[in-house]
Amino acid sequence: MGALNVPKVGNYVNTHFAAAFQKVATFRVVGAQKQGGNVASYFCAPDGRVLHAIAGPVDADTYLKEATWVVETTKAAMAASDGDGGKFKAFFRKAHAQKLRDETGLTVEAITWDPPDVGEKDQLTYSDPSGRPLAPKLPPPPIDGPDVRLSADEFNARQQKANAAPGAREMSCGLGGRGRKVVVNNQAVMHQILAAHSLTKIEKVYGTVFENVLGEKISTKPVDVVRPFSWVDRDGHRLAK
Amino acid sequence: MRALSALTVAALVACPTFAEEKSKGCYGTAIAFFDSPKEAAASAKKNEQLVLVLHVSGYFENPALT
Repeated sequence: MGALNVPKVGNYVNTHFAAAFQKVATFRVVGAQKQGGNVASYFCAPDGRVLHAIAGPVDADTYLKEATWVVETTKAAMAASDGDGGKFKAFFRKAHAQKLRDETGLTVEAITWDPPDVGEKDQLTYSDPSGRPLAPKLPPPPIDGPDVRLSADEFNARQQKANAAPGAREMSCGLGGRGRKVVVNNQAVMHQILAAHSLTKIEKVYGTVFENVLGEKISTKPVDVVRPFSWVDRDGHRLAK
Repeated sequence: MRALSALTVAALVACPTFAEEKSKGCYGTAIAFFDSPKEAAASAKKNEQLVLVLHVSGYFENPALT
């Protein structure tokens, strides 16, 4: 929980957000060993719709940058939408597409309509080990490819920066995934997903974040817990094992 | 390790200023957490803030993991 320990992050978060936590059981299977342990931060409207998210642990500067982005983008969206919820949603999705372009040089088309809700028996659903549905799979909009307005040097510089961030990996873009290989990272995939699904309820988003972005299987729905971290108490005192 | 201890101490000092209400705890971080997202949402609505929901999962034997 490195970034969450840093006072400048705490000051900003405590000023602009009301924070809470939930436990989500996930695991990763490596050989016969079950491993796991991850974190995702969801920045939401008070009604629980997700404006932005950070998938996985990041450093304090990144955390602060993302938290600041969501606050400033919310202000801009409120000013631009003038109380119209549809315009607010479209503004936010376009903002995610723009941030993906700014940070990686990659373009994605923001989806400004909502797909129909899938039922619990739909195949596009994450389920627990017993097969009970947990959360829908939210299909990300395809990454079209590099922004043509960037020179090769500008694009390569953004890609190198993206390659240094957590979760950096190659992805094929365009042509049904058979196109050019490009570099994305956890936050880039987050923006790709939220360019189509921001302002969706958190209970519909978390499955895609853990399974699609972090590569971990979810095994329960999010539940409220007494302690988010098992090794410290409410006041931060370390607990004996 | 020394740097981590310093950060934890700083967090412990910084957090209680924001956790003055009994319903919040900092759990060794610099962030004051409500006991549930529902409480956080109600407070956010009242104070015109946004909501941060932290989803934590898995194995916590290694604190550095999260």
